[in-house]
Amino acid sequence: MSEFSVIGKPVRRIDGLEKVTGAAQYTTDIKLPGMLIGKMLRSPHPHAKILNIDTSAAEKLLGVKAVITGPRDTLGVKYSNWRRYPHLMDETALAMDRVRYIGEPIAAVAAVDADVAEEALSLIEVEYEILPAVFDPLEAMKDGAPQIHEGPTVRNNVSEARHFEFGNVDEAFKKCDYVREDTFYLHPVIHAFIEPYNSVARYEGDGKLTIWTSTQTPYYIQTLLAMALGLKEGNIRVIKPHVGGGFGGKMELFSDQVVAAILSMKTGKPVKVELTREECFEGGRRRHPMYYTLKTGYMKDGTILAKEAKLYTDGGAYNAMGPTSLYLSGFFQMFPYAIPNYRYDGFHVYTNKTPATAMRGFGGPQAEFTCDSQIDMIAEHLGMDPAEIRLKNRMKPGHVIPGLAKVESCGIKECIERAMESTGWKEKKGKLPKGRGIGMGCYGFMSGGVFNWINSPYAYSGAMVRVNVDGTVDVYIGSAEIGQGSDTVAAQIVAEKLGVPMSDINVVRGDTRTCPPDLGAWGSRQTLMVGNALIMACDQILDKLYKTAAALMGPNVVYDYAAKDGRVFIKERPERGLDFVEVVKAAIRADEGNQLIGRGYYTPHDKGMVSPAYSFGAQVAEVEVDEETGKVTLLQVTTAHDCGQVINELGVEGQLEGAFVMGQGYTLSENLVTDQGKILNPSFVDYKLMRAPDVPENFTSLMVETYEPEGPFGAKEAGEGLTNPNAGCIANAIYDAIGVRITDMPITPEKILKALDEKKKKEAKG
Amino acid sequence: MRDFDYIAPKSVEETIKVLSEYKDEAKIIAGGQSLLNILKQDLMAPEILVDIKHLSELDYITYDEKEGMRIGATTTHHAVEVSPLVIEHYPILSEMEHTLAFPQTRNWGTIGGNLCIQDPTGDVAPPLIALRATVKIVGPNGERILPMEDFSTDYYETVLEEDEILAEVRIPPMAPRTGVAYSKFRIVEGDAPIVGAAVAFTLNEDGTCADARIATNGTAPIPLRIPDAEAVFKGKKITDELIQEAVEVAGEAMECIPDIVASDEYKKRVAKVYIKRMARKALSQIQ
Repeated sequence: MSEFSVIGKPVRRIDGLEKVTGAAQYTTDIKLPGMLIGKMLRSPHPHAKILNIDTSAAEKLLGVKAVITGPRDTLGVKYSNWRRYPHLMDETALAMDRVRYIGEPIAAVAAVDADVAEEALSLIEVEYEILPAVFDPLEAMKDGAPQIHEGPTVRNNVSEARHFEFGNVDEAFKKCDYVREDTFYLHPVIHAFIEPYNSVARYEGDGKLTIWTSTQTPYYIQTLLAMALGLKEGNIRVIKPHVGGGFGGKMELFSDQVVAAILSMKTGKPVKVELTREECFEGGRRRHPMYYTLKTGYMKDGTILAKEAKLYTDGGAYNAMGPTSLYLSGFFQMFPYAIPNYRYDGFHVYTNKTPATAMRGFGGPQAEFTCDSQIDMIAEHLGMDPAEIRLKNRMKPGHVIPGLAKVESCGIKECIERAMESTGWKEKKGKLPKGRGIGMGCYGFMSGGVFNWINSPYAYSGAMVRVNVDGTVDVYIGSAEIGQGSDTVAAQIVAEKLGVPMSDINVVRGDTRTCPPDLGAWGSRQTLMVGNALIMACDQILDKLYKTAAALMGPNVVYDYAAKDGRVFIKERPERGLDFVEVVKAAIRADEGNQLIGRGYYTPHDKGMVSPAYSFGAQVAEVEVDEETGKVTLLQVTTAHDCGQVINELGVEGQLEGAFVMGQGYTLSENLVTDQGKILNPSFVDYKLMRAPDVPENFTSLMVETYEPEGPFGAKEAGEGLTNPNAGCIANAIYDAIGVRITDMPITPEKILKALDEKKKKEAKG
Repeated sequence: MRDFDYIAPKSVEETIKVLSEYKDEAKIIAGGQSLLNILKQDLMAPEILVDIKHLSELDYITYDEKEGMRIGATTTHHAVEVSPLVIEHYPILSEMEHTLAFPQTRNWGTIGGNLCIQDPTGDVAPPLIALRATVKIVGPNGERILPMEDFSTDYYETVLEEDEILAEVRIPPMAPRTGVAYSKFRIVEGDAPIVGAAVAFTLNEDGTCADARIATNGTAPIPLRIPDAEAVFKGKKITDELIQEAVEVAGEAMECIPDIVASDEYKKRVAKVYIKRMARKALSQIQ
């Protein structure tokens, strides 16, 4: 596709310079005259009734400007992204009469500085009646377990059950040569974004409010904040400065946002609320722990005929985005394989812990760990190469999942083959010296969700493009750059469409007052959705420019025109053309000086229940296991990813590497440890994130390009899918190295040693 | 973090005076790499921080053929890591410093600060114990010298009195036919060790063991020297069997504390692996 000027090229990020020089402004950099500091009081109990809150002593403290509690100072509105499904909305900004996890906000203060605010918190007296609590979903589902929420749709703490089924699973199991069932446990981890939750709210009177906040979804914040405060959506202006990471943990309305707004409304001053790292652990979100059971039926030749998946997920005290993680985990359990008969039952269970929510992969990392581990077990049982069994059962372009999805482009075959070729799979698999092993994991992922839980009448993405008289272009988008590079991709798409240099593009973003509504950064949706909206907007402009060029040039036949390299020209006769700026000026004059603007939007049509398009990929890892300590070293990691047409090669590479490192930590070191609902490692000293020296030096990203008809220029997802196969891939490599299989995540050195001991005992006996 | 006052004395003498005046209200800060975290977590709330980071009279590395090396307490980890004198005479110290946390920490953190904070997993003490180092402590009544292994008393506690400071680390010259090795186990690079081990052997001319030193971190409230395990080697030719025997003896002396990352049993097991590996490595340097 060499005819592109900027698409597919390794383009430098448009926000790169300001970020590396430290000039980029984040919410924490916002300082307004007279600004107060807000802090929240949090529950020390996992489950308790609030009998009384006495704020009188705190209010008297010098420097305290306001103290608020749920029942006295908020509307008590239950809000969440589930506006279309109100029975799932279960959370308030501050506790109303009960707390359900340690860290749940109860009251808040605004004071002249952080020290005074903290002192004031210590003066608030809360009287609790401690209630029995439950911390494990399997316990929580038993009769007689403490009930965390009341309500007609909640029974035995199950807030949502998901079921899907197609084919005839029971009949298919009967036909299978073999059926195996395995169980797995997936542990909780956190998003670990570097920028904590933080907001600055300024109430301007007359029902108008501006909030600067670290979010992936400015539009959600606008509508939900309106709901929580009883204001009009249009009177709330949400500004998203640069964001230091979200990973799914910043796609909901959070207490810091509501509390900052209410404190500002009470005091008439701007109020900043910034969570500490410990608060981000306790009062934030996490990835769902899951108990998974997989039953898979297969034939002697390796064909998988049927699969049944059962899942109990530990949702924590509130739904958050849990019902979607539950749904998607069952959905991605099939990927990237063509399973003809499938049944899934998933249960989202409340426990007295920090709520779990969307996190990079959105149910996929858990699904693929179990799926990839079991496929290797099946391959071993049949004496097949694990790569071969994957190729045999793979999805093909045009694959239909009845009632759920239609897969158009699908490069999984090429991904597996290229990953094998690049790593020397055939020479290595099963043949490496003891202690060293190689493993594979495969995945498919969504390119944007067909989910409108927020119930917005607006399109999924909107865009406005304005060409100025000097040929520079202003691009207005509501999508959220959170570090993933989506603003750069947007600029590239416009530069390519209009044939102007990247340096002439100005992206206007992160402000709900000036930018079109957009559902935000989640589900790997931005390249595809805002990309399509931008193409529509650019096409409107090009239509005007081509007509103007035709009028100016006056050829004697009707030609098609093109815009490239700062020129507008006749497609078939490129030497006949005009300067882009000249055509723009003429087009504006011809329209009585009206601005040259194009508007676009994107909403998926007939794309099933999940996504308009699917990315695919295969990953191979080579590991070395120290059999005396159990430590796993990653020697070489190779990923082949099908993201359709690459828009920004550097961006895709960065996203693949980042997703891998996140998956590496998920697999080998990260674990949010709790005891009786109390997080024991709420700091980056005790919570073990992988760091730069832990990243394998030999990491290869291979981009397998397919053409996705639904994507802008044929592009698909690149930022999230690769979070999914890492755990299974590494687990399979460990098995290849030392013959032990860990099904209980994370795969710590200690678990490996224990498994090796057991294996030795068995061998000694047998 | 609570508010505190800040004093930056201009000399060791003045530092001692300030400490004598404020006693337990004061806390010394050097590089601050551990202390600031402790203060942020409100685990300690001193009224006054006494900053000795800039005291150049404590920032030096010298070497004398007879006396050995002297390292001032405020010498940074980085300075030790790259010192040509250290690399020439005690390469193990430079190696140890090279794997201590990250460059940012090594640029600020000091060797004295690391010893005084007395984190039981600290990197610095075990190799110093293996190298038979001593420490110089200065107080209102002059100075005293203690063997490295007698400096620590408990978690985050040392023999230092309220009005004393650690001034210098002294390392005797290495005897001929000596090998020293140190390494540590971590799950994540750049992290504090989970456990670690330092082993030093000095051989007689006939190849038998003249002296052995074994010290571990993360296996007790203090850096643990294990004389019983050292004694296994004395006067004998060091073999793999002998190393294994010493490792078992060493295991008896360890009291590991379980934490979020690892159980006590696992820590002990890995510490024993590291003693074995470091013993082999130290031996290989001489043979």
